[in-house]
Amino acid sequence: MGKKIVIQPVTRIEGHAKITIQLDDAGNVQDSFVNVIELRGFERFCIGKPVEELPRIVTSICGVCPWSHHLASAKATDAVFGVEIPPAGKKIRELCNSIAYTEEHILHFYFLGGGDFVMGPDADPSVRNVIGIAGKLPEVARKVVRCRWLGSQMLHIVSGKSIHPVTAVPGGFSKALTKEDLEKLKPMAQEILDLAKFSMDYAKKNVFPAYLDVVKTLGVITTGFLGTVKPDGTLDLYDGVLRMMTPDGKYEDFPYDKYTDYITEHIEPWSYLKFPYMKKAGSFSMDLARPSGIYRTNTLARLNVCDRISTPLAQAELEEFRKNFGRPAQLTLLYHWARLIELLYNAEKMTELLNDPEITSLDIRKAVTPRAARGVGCVEAPRGTLIHDYETDANGLVTNVNLIVGTTHNNAPINMSVKQAATSLIKEGKYDQGLLNTVEMAIRAYDPCLSCATHNLDGRYSVKIEIVDPDRHVIDTLVNF
Amino acid sequence: MKRILVLGCGNRFFGDDGFGPEVVDHFLKSHPVPEHTEILDAGTSVRNLLFDIILGEERPEKIVIIDAVDAGRNPGEVFELQLSEIPHKNLDNFCMHSLPTSNLLLELQQYCGVEVQVISAQVESIPDCVRPGLSPPMLRAVPEVCARIMDAIQPSARISHQ
Repeated sequence: MGKKIVIQPVTRIEGHAKITIQLDDAGNVQDSFVNVIELRGFERFCIGKPVEELPRIVTSICGVCPWSHHLASAKATDAVFGVEIPPAGKKIRELCNSIAYTEEHILHFYFLGGGDFVMGPDADPSVRNVIGIAGKLPEVARKVVRCRWLGSQMLHIVSGKSIHPVTAVPGGFSKALTKEDLEKLKPMAQEILDLAKFSMDYAKKNVFPAYLDVVKTLGVITTGFLGTVKPDGTLDLYDGVLRMMTPDGKYEDFPYDKYTDYITEHIEPWSYLKFPYMKKAGSFSMDLARPSGIYRTNTLARLNVCDRISTPLAQAELEEFRKNFGRPAQLTLLYHWARLIELLYNAEKMTELLNDPEITSLDIRKAVTPRAARGVGCVEAPRGTLIHDYETDANGLVTNVNLIVGTTHNNAPINMSVKQAATSLIKEGKYDQGLLNTVEMAIRAYDPCLSCATHNLDGRYSVKIEIVDPDRHVIDTLVNF
Repeated sequence: MKRILVLGCGNRFFGDDGFGPEVVDHFLKSHPVPEHTEILDAGTSVRNLLFDIILGEERPEKIVIIDAVDAGRNPGEVFELQLSEIPHKNLDNFCMHSLPTSNLLLELQQYCGVEVQVISAQVESIPDCVRPGLSPPMLRAVPEVCARIMDAIQPSARISHQ
């Protein structure tokens, strides 16, 4: 008689997910499903609104990466209005993007994904959290919080707001940077760069070596990758072309507005979330032995698709990374390592931008005029490639919207990594708490952002495992705290 | 850092879930904010704010959370959630989209010495797709919650650690 194990929700990722692991009669994994609640109805909500309002509205989609939505939306409106924004406006947007990245990557490495490593995958879940880490590494925690505070202050100086940004507007940016602003920002950026360098060094000495065996085995799958590069192949998180890389390392570049020529969507009856895949593969399969069309986004993908990084410290780390793991690197837990290289890149990048004399130019915005058009805006959000696709009528009112967010790109890979982890860790019906925590680790590597809007006080547990028979009768229940 | 921090939590796109931000809007339009108090629309970003507060060197003495919940009461009913009264297991589902650790609010209170007051209102329903706007019972609850906030932020308000 087959059994079904249900794990819900996964703690410490944004929102919640339910993991169902289907066992066969022998107690081995037959299949697994990660169910994600999706933000539904947003596209319809936007219809009829003035398109220039969207960059301000989309920041409320999710409080986790409002800057990414804000910037992708602003870029889409630039395209709708058919304007090339002034260089200073672009540089200020890039600066905001890099600051927001450092905040998010620091948070994830130290407190979301990092808990698995700093405290150990088998640690009691009650200490695998922010308090546990702060207790074990108090000085590091102090630095981390200080730098996240600095990032928030920097965004406040640059844009006036850090939670619900409004300053990226169609045609550019609405607030110029002054030389006085720069003098305040530069020492703050230096402090974040110092933490980025410390984090890279600390992880390479104390974290990754201790768990290299886990890195080499947990959640490992073979896929293609998608990310943004400049036309010359250099990593870029704000603007460029999309590069789709197949598992053998071959790639093709294409402009944002051609994404529907390269990406199509598969639907599974058990998931609200769609499964984007490579259109040119011709088929979709999450079979671990013979996957088809699957690609990944987010940190590891971006480092795989780029030829080089423009900043020296991150470039040196990329070279060392490739020497150790090749290109494309496929090991799922390397997302954490790649995240630190990106942290370093963004810290270097914001220092570079703050030292660019052009960034204080007052020419930061172009006037725009409504027209009937389509515009596609794309940025690399911390969690993956973020695409905003808008269409307007002659009055500039929205007639169509399509969004693809980072976590959606990774829907199929997350499912595959969970299945791989579960298959290797659950044998003949035997499993324990440590094994199930490890399945969660496979998900957290992707840093998924799962939208969630409801509050429940119904007594559900943080992580709940239900074992049910084929008729869905619960025959056993486990919780992980 | 001001002595008292009031955070309106929730997603404006999902009906009654936008109660916290709506209360903040109403409060700022209709009530004076004392010098010692900061009141913020935290939206769905409250996790970021609390993370940094819990580990920061400077903390407010008191945090007031305004949030919509489904606790099986009458729609629009306003009540306070005492952290000590909420079963340990339930905290995981409190403000799920925002709180990344199982007991962040409790930890803030127990380990950081910050008083946490949670003022809640019972949702009528939460739509399953984007649909902004509060239900009539929740709209009627907004002024009452604002009055409770005024009580909670009085300079003479006793800071008690549960």
